[in-house]
This record gives sequence, structure tokens and C-alpha cells, in this order.
Amino acid sequence: MSKDTLIEVKNLEVSFPIINKKLFRTETVDLRAVDNVSFDVKRGETVGLVGESGSGKTTIGRAVLRAIDPTGGEVIYHGSRNENAIFKVRSNGRAMDFDSAPVQVHALSGETLRQFRPRMSLVFQDPYSSLNPRMTVRDIIAEPLVASGLMTKREEIDERVRDVAARCKLNLEHLRRFPHAFSGGQRQRICIARALVSSPDFVVCDESVSALDVSIQAEIVNLLKDLQEEMGVAFLFIAHDLSVVAQMSHRVAVLYVGKFVEYAKTEDLFFNPRHPYTHALLSAIPQSDPDIEFDPIRLDGEIPNPLSAPTGCRFHTRCPFAREACAESEPEWRELAPEHFVACHFAEEFDFSRPKS
Amino acid sequence: MEEMLKVENLSIAFRTDEGLIEPVQGVSFSVKEGKTLGIVGESGSGKSISTKALMRLLPGTAILGDDTKMTYRAKSGEIINIEKLALNSRKTRDLRGGEIGMIFQEPMASFSPVYTVGNQMIEAIRLHRDMNKKEAREYAIEMLNKVGISNPSQRIDQYAHEMSGGMRQRAMIALTLSAGPQLLIADEPTTALDVTIQAQVLELMAGLQRDLGMAMIFITHDLGVIAQIADEVAVMYLGTIVERGPTRDVIRDPKHPYTQGLLEAIPKLDTLTHRLSPVPGDIPSPHARPTGCPFHTRCARKIDGLCDQQTPAEISLGEGRAVTCFLHSSEGRDVA
Repeated sequence: MSKDTLIEVKNLEVSFPIINKKLFRTETVDLRAVDNVSFDVKRGETVGLVGESGSGKTTIGRAVLRAIDPTGGEVIYHGSRNENAIFKVRSNGRAMDFDSAPVQVHALSGETLRQFRPRMSLVFQDPYSSLNPRMTVRDIIAEPLVASGLMTKREEIDERVRDVAARCKLNLEHLRRFPHAFSGGQRQRICIARALVSSPDFVVCDESVSALDVSIQAEIVNLLKDLQEEMGVAFLFIAHDLSVVAQMSHRVAVLYVGKFVEYAKTEDLFFNPRHPYTHALLSAIPQSDPDIEFDPIRLDGEIPNPLSAPTGCRFHTRCPFAREACAESEPEWRELAPEHFVACHFAEEFDFSRPKS
Repeated sequence: MEEMLKVENLSIAFRTDEGLIEPVQGVSFSVKEGKTLGIVGESGSGKSISTKALMRLLPGTAILGDDTKMTYRAKSGEIINIEKLALNSRKTRDLRGGEIGMIFQEPMASFSPVYTVGNQMIEAIRLHRDMNKKEAREYAIEMLNKVGISNPSQRIDQYAHEMSGGMRQRAMIALTLSAGPQLLIADEPTTALDVTIQAQVLELMAGLQRDLGMAMIFITHDLGVIAQIADEVAVMYLGTIVERGPTRDVIRDPKHPYTQGLLEAIPKLDTLTHRLSPVPGDIPSPHARPTGCPFHTRCARKIDGLCDQQTPAEISLGEGRAVTCFLHSSEGRDVA
């Protein structure tokens, strides 16, 4: 494992019990939302996670953060290199050591987990429902510091909040206002400031730009990139729109019904996709050029329910290139080209490459 | 091609606690038979309430401007002045649904959760078509089949929450079309959907429009979607139309700085740039409307002393194109 690795996810599994109460017996079925997923995130890198709704992308993000508990697999954190990180100088002087040895995040609990929390955070999709309408912007941004007990002095907290708010291009005079006074783009900047206030190493952005207008979306993407350069934070960028993910990420993973189907450097995945699903996703994005013929690959129906996931390759029910073998055996996860992983029996036969301009 | 809907000088004002606001000011557009008009703009630009005014669906605090004129030619050939209709009249009821249908962004919020999808469809069909319950049910099944819902005779007895997002939006389209409107208003119908489902729904809507010969008003903030579906496009900013024209011409050669900005902000598929180009700043609140050209606070090419003082008039550029910007007027050229 290279020295730059920050987060390592190995064979992550999340399943939810579906309890079906009958008259005299109770049936429990496991819904496997995430099935055997492995990837890593380097320091200061953005990894994109793309998939349709129901593919399990949000579940992966939350399981890595321990917002929900994974049912199997490992999440390993390789320690901060950020010397200025405020979580290293706890005001009460009882800082735990998470930096000298890899931390098994999936096994943390109790007070240890609580102390670990400031190192990772989350930006949600909908900036209208993720801000408490009764708290001022200053209190919202300060909340992670207060909740984790990182800072207790009011002046210290104020200084830190003002610093982060300025970085996120918020007007400092607005800190005393309540969230209702802000537009969608400004609210999303408040959410980003809240996520970054504890100077985390790793932030999960769960569909953080999907609900915004294109003009504002571009601004938030640029802001996230600037913050990454300044603060060296790593992002797991979750979205369903491949075109936005591609502009933002260094590497991209494509997810389908809880399993990775393709994982590669952005440029390889974007211009030379090897999996039919990635190709279909790319073709479905409408282009603003009226002369480019819009001819999306028709994917019939919708993403299957993970409770009754198809046998063999999970995509075979909608894949335009499916053959008999696809329904029978599950494709192997293999490295087709350096750092280009694909799960498809016939990936060598397809040429989906697109011209660059 | 005849104009079936003509809107002139549409202005809408709202009485609020903080005073009178005017989110729509002097908007004019028209829809031709069987054609699609796309309306593009950011949230807060007034695109949704302009179309709600067409159905007289505005809340009671809204005031329509005095010289607002909305003329609509009904299926029977009768000319209706929408702004003069009494709100609870028979004619307004026929207009809503029967003449003009509407699809909203969030299908979950538009269906009632306590009635089955079929129940709601049958109600609409019986209101607008002369059918008994049994015929209406058969017709509803036929419509569900037409929008590509598999197994419609069972789906019709399901509730909206039992369906997935894409299927709900299809059911919404079936419900709207079952009343047989000749104009369909689609308010961001694909914004909440995945790209693959969005492609399916766009294809479905274009196909249905061909088959039924409907006219359509398609509202979205994504110029990519507009490029694929609309014949003509109107770009709205803060309650005014800043540019209009045939879609192809507007996208090939945008004249207004705002249209140019919106086009540049879309992430491109053929290049990986390291930075996107946003339209800087936020859309101003309707309480603090800028003087002069509403866009001057965010415009990179504003002319000091002109754009922030005077309101530009619409300038016709020929071939149905028009732009509201001083850069294309004689005043602007004199200064520059």
C-alpha cells in the first residue's frame, strides 16, 4: 500500500434486514445494498462514485463514515499528515492517537469513535433540508466543533468559524442570519463550511451539487476544487451525473446494484469506457449542441431491486450486449489495463472509446 | 403554423409582508400548434409561476398586471381570454386539464398518497371525457400502456409510493394526457430523475407529442435538455425574457451574456477541464431587484453608467430572434 493512501476500503458489505411479519412467524430477508466493494482514496484526491438511485452509492459513503455500521469488510484510515489539524490540539488535552498506526474505522466504538469523528465529515444533497432553520449560520458551522468537544472557548470557535466561512466565500456579516435568508448556492456553501470546520482529511459529498442550477453547480464544483488545493482534503464525490463527476474527480467508480462494474482514472473511464453500463450512462447525458444527435443507448426498465438481484452479471437484464453466459456466471473483477478495473465477461470485445477535443 | 397560445405583457406581483414584489415583469411568448417552447432559467427566474398563471393556478395573494393578455384558442376553435376567466367558472375547469395539462417536477408530491393511481386517473378521465366508470378504467389502462408501464392492469391499482421515480413520472404523464389536452406544460419533469430514466422520459414525451400532435411548454434549467426537445427557446432571468429564438440558433450563437454564461457552465463531454465556468454570483432576491438591466450585477460585459441606470428594450434580430441587452442596441454601441 502506497504511503499516500488515506482511506482503504476492503470488501465492504452492508446489508439491511427486511423483516416481514406474518401471523405466526416472522421472515427476515437480508437486503444486500453494498456487496463486496473495495477501493482506496489517496490524500488530497477525489474519487467519484456514480450510479443510478438504488445502486447503493449513498450507503457506501455512509458506511465509510460509520454513519451506518457496515456488516462486513474493513475500512482503514491511515493517519493524518496535516500538522495544523485542529483535532491534534484538543483543548482538554486528551487527544487520542490515530496517526501512528492505521485505524480500523469499522471496529471503532464509544468514546474512541466520537474522538475520531472530526477527521471525516459529510455534505448532504439538499441544502434546504440539511440546515436547522432555528440556528444561526454561525451556530450551524460551529456545531461540529462543539459536538466533538474540540473547542470550548467562544472566541476560539468564532475565529475558526470566521476563517472557514471566508474560505467558503461566505459574507462574514451574514453569520448572524438564519438559513432561510439564503439561496440554494449560498446554503450549500454553508453546508461545506460546516463539513470543513474541523479540518477533516476526508469528506463525503453525497449528491452535493445535484439539486443546484447548472450555473451555481459550476461554482460549487470550483469551490470544492479550490478548498481541496488549499486544505489538502480528500473527497468521495457521489453523484448520478457522470459529466459533473468527471470534471471533479481523479478516479471514478461506477456502481450497479451494490457492486462496482468499472473503476479507473477519470480520463480512461470517460474517453475509453470498457463496461456497457458506463457507456450507456455516458450516452444518456443530453448535450447542449443541437447538431450532435441524441441517441441514448436504450436501457429498458429500471435498476433491479437488490432483494432479487439478477443472477450472473447483475446488468444482464438491461444490457444490450447480453449473452447466455452473462446470466449464468458472475463476471470476474479484473484489471484490464493498468489501474482500469472492469467486471464484464466480454469487455475486450467492446470499443466504446470517444474522441477527445 | 398557427399560434394556439399567445401571452402578451404578462406581469405578476405578490403582496408579501415585506411589500409588493414583482417576480414576473412584461413577459411575452407564444406557442405554435404541435411545437415545443422551452423556457430556461435559474430557480427564482419566474419560469414556473409564468406558466402557472396560464392555468390560473396562482395563489390568492398574486395580482395579474393590468395589460396582461393571454389568448388561447380552444379545441372547439373558440378564443379564450384566460386573464378574464372567473376562477370558479365551468370554463376555467375545462381549461385546467382538458385544454392545458401540466406535469410537475416531483411526481410523488403531485399524486395523492391515499388513492390508487387508477382511482385518480379515472376521476380525471370522467371529468373531461364522456365515459362511464368501466370505460374510463379501460382507457386508463390503455394510457398506462402507452407510456410504457409494464403490466398496466395490475399497476393501475397501486399507490404512487409503490412505484419507482421513473415509473411515477410516466404515470403522471399518463394521467395528464388521459384528459386529452392540446397543450402540455412540463415543469422540470426530468430534474429529479437519473440520467438513464431522464433519457427514457424525454424520448417518451417526444414520441407522444408526435403521435398526439400536442403543443408543449418545457421548463428546465438544463440547456442540454432544451437542445434535444425544444423547437424554440426563451431564456428567463429575474422575471424577464432576456433572449428568445429558434433553439438551434440560440444555442449555436447566443447573443445575451447570460445565455452565453449558462451554456459555458454546462460540463462538456468531450473535454476534461480543470475548472468549470460558472455565472458568478447568485440570482438577486426579488425584494432587492437591481435597477436597470436585472443582469448587470453578474454580467462580465456590463457598460457602466448605462446598464445599471436604464432598462434595455427588446431588440429584434430577425428570424424570430430577439435579445434584451444594450450590447446589441445603438445606445450600447455608441458607448462601446
